[in-house]
Amino acid sequence: MSNFIRWTARLLGVAAIASAPQFVGAQEARLLAIRDDATRDFVRQFVEAARVRGTPTEPLVSRALEGVAFKADRKRIEQAMAALEKRLRRSRDLLGAKATADEVAAGADALAADVPAGMIQEMKKLAPQRQITVELGVLTELVAKGISPKVAAERIKELMARGATGAQLTELNAAVQQDVALGIKPVAALELRGRGVMSLLPPPASVNSAQRR
Amino acid sequence: MFPTLAVLRTSVTDFDPTLPGRAKHGDEQAFIKIVEFYYPRCLRFARNMLGSEQDAEEAVQDTFVRVHDSFPRFREDARFDPWLFRILANRCRTLMARNRRHRSVIEYGDVPQTATAEHEIGADWAEEVRVVLDTLPAEQREAFLLRHVEDLSYEDISAMTGAGLSALRMRVKRACDALRARLTDGSKDDRRIG
Amino acid sequence: MIEESDELIVRAARALSGMPPTKAGAVARVLMAVRANQARPLPFWKRAMRRFDETSVSAKAAGLLMAASLVIGFFARGTVGNARDSFAGGSELSGTALQSIANMPAESRPVPVAVAVELANAKTVAVVGDFNGWDPSVTPMQRVGKDGPWSATVLAKPGRHTYAFMVDGATLVADPRAPRAKSSDFDGDASVMMVRTP
Repeated sequence: MSNFIRWTARLLGVAAIASAPQFVGAQEARLLAIRDDATRDFVRQFVEAARVRGTPTEPLVSRALEGVAFKADRKRIEQAMAALEKRLRRSRDLLGAKATADEVAAGADALAADVPAGMIQEMKKLAPQRQITVELGVLTELVAKGISPKVAAERIKELMARGATGAQLTELNAAVQQDVALGIKPVAALELRGRGVMSLLPPPASVNSAQRR
Repeated sequence: MFPTLAVLRTSVTDFDPTLPGRAKHGDEQAFIKIVEFYYPRCLRFARNMLGSEQDAEEAVQDTFVRVHDSFPRFREDARFDPWLFRILANRCRTLMARNRRHRSVIEYGDVPQTATAEHEIGADWAEEVRVVLDTLPAEQREAFLLRHVEDLSYEDISAMTGAGLSALRMRVKRACDALRARLTDGSKDDRRIG
Repeated sequence: MIEESDELIVRAARALSGMPPTKAGAVARVLMAVRANQARPLPFWKRAMRRFDETSVSAKAAGLLMAASLVIGFFARGTVGNARDSFAGGSELSGTALQSIANMPAESRPVPVAVAVELANAKTVAVVGDFNGWDPSVTPMQRVGKDGPWSATVLAKPGRHTYAFMVDGATLVADPRAPRAKSSDFDGDASVMMVRTP
């Protein structure tokens, strides 16, 4: 498996280097933090290949360097990058071509937390004109607290549909975290805090009429 | 004994002299490190100059906004301290001119992290010194603080303020004369407490 | 060192030399003000006025004289082109990296976030995370006081970020006060910070 990934990466890397002669200087400099030559070569080629495919490369470089910081061996770094690249591509497909790199990365994190792909797509449909990086990040964190991905995504979607801002959702996440620390069940905390945010939002009719306008 | 002035002036870690050059070329992390390193010292000067904690914070904040704006014009071969303090001193002058309001007694909300028993005893004494300094013309107060508290050379202060060396020496001397004349009793009180 | 000084002057200077306490988040507030200033470019004349703050007092006087002569020159020659150009030339913004940040929409503009951790026995601590490419050389932390916590300010875009502390250049430690990142691909714990839109 890892041999297959490595050779595919190399082949695509060669093609990438031929078509885009300069590797982005800043990223290249950061790759020098990878001491092992073979790992560094792999990462460089993998990132170039991803660039050719239109996948955001920054999360991939960051994941490789995270692996270095955690003293992971080459195999673990390769596996982590391959898995992330797959999620990034899926995320980009779900969020659309206009999605920013940060948004695509946030979508990939949500996929890693087992949020159903359809939910991510529906969230984007609720806010097609703006980034939903924060919304996806909050969703990922709620799931990490033990709330089922489906329940968490439904609640976030409801709030987004009523016009909740990213800042309000960040506060919701912080409040749920506090509640959980006090011993309240995560789902109950989300219901409670979700209702709190909802009460601050304009009634559905005005949201709909605002959207129609 | 009081710790030496040098000890009081030295921060937790030494200043990396490459930071201003890096910040000039857009290195955001270098700029953050500069703010972290110089914030307390700038706040000290601004508080001693302006008296009000709130005004001092405003002056320091404005100073860093302007430093950030002006970095493209900072000459890398120039020393950073005098350049920074020139901007800070000018901000303080502007605020003084704007406010001209009654200067209230400095509030001591939080105990400084580095506070020692000596500092606590010295708080009243510092207050008295500030009260005397406050009665001086702003340029004398500024010259005294830059020379004796911020430890800048007369040459640096001259380059910063545009005043001649002899004029600066005269300003500092007048400030010292005023402190001697007005603080003698206070210092005795302080010794008695200590 | 201190000329014409006697004990009283030395003591007076020392009394004023104590560093005032830096309030929590003060540095972050300064950086926010810098950001806000970048996002709201000033008209050229206001920027030109700001340049005065970099100027010594006597140079200001000279500058005023020059400005006066330019005005006179304007009336004499009937053009203000040169004067405007010289102001415009001086109103260039900061480095391109900083400018690109300023141009970003609020939802993707990095905001300063203060991080702190108690690590009593550490000799060096750096915060590493996806916001600085997990590079320990980017954000070394500073100790508050002799035995206090370690603190630093990072720039992170709004959203979810994973991070950890690199202790003595060798060991990664999660932030005990933050939730753990559950989906880490590697052995060891990272923490999560949620950065809200400014």
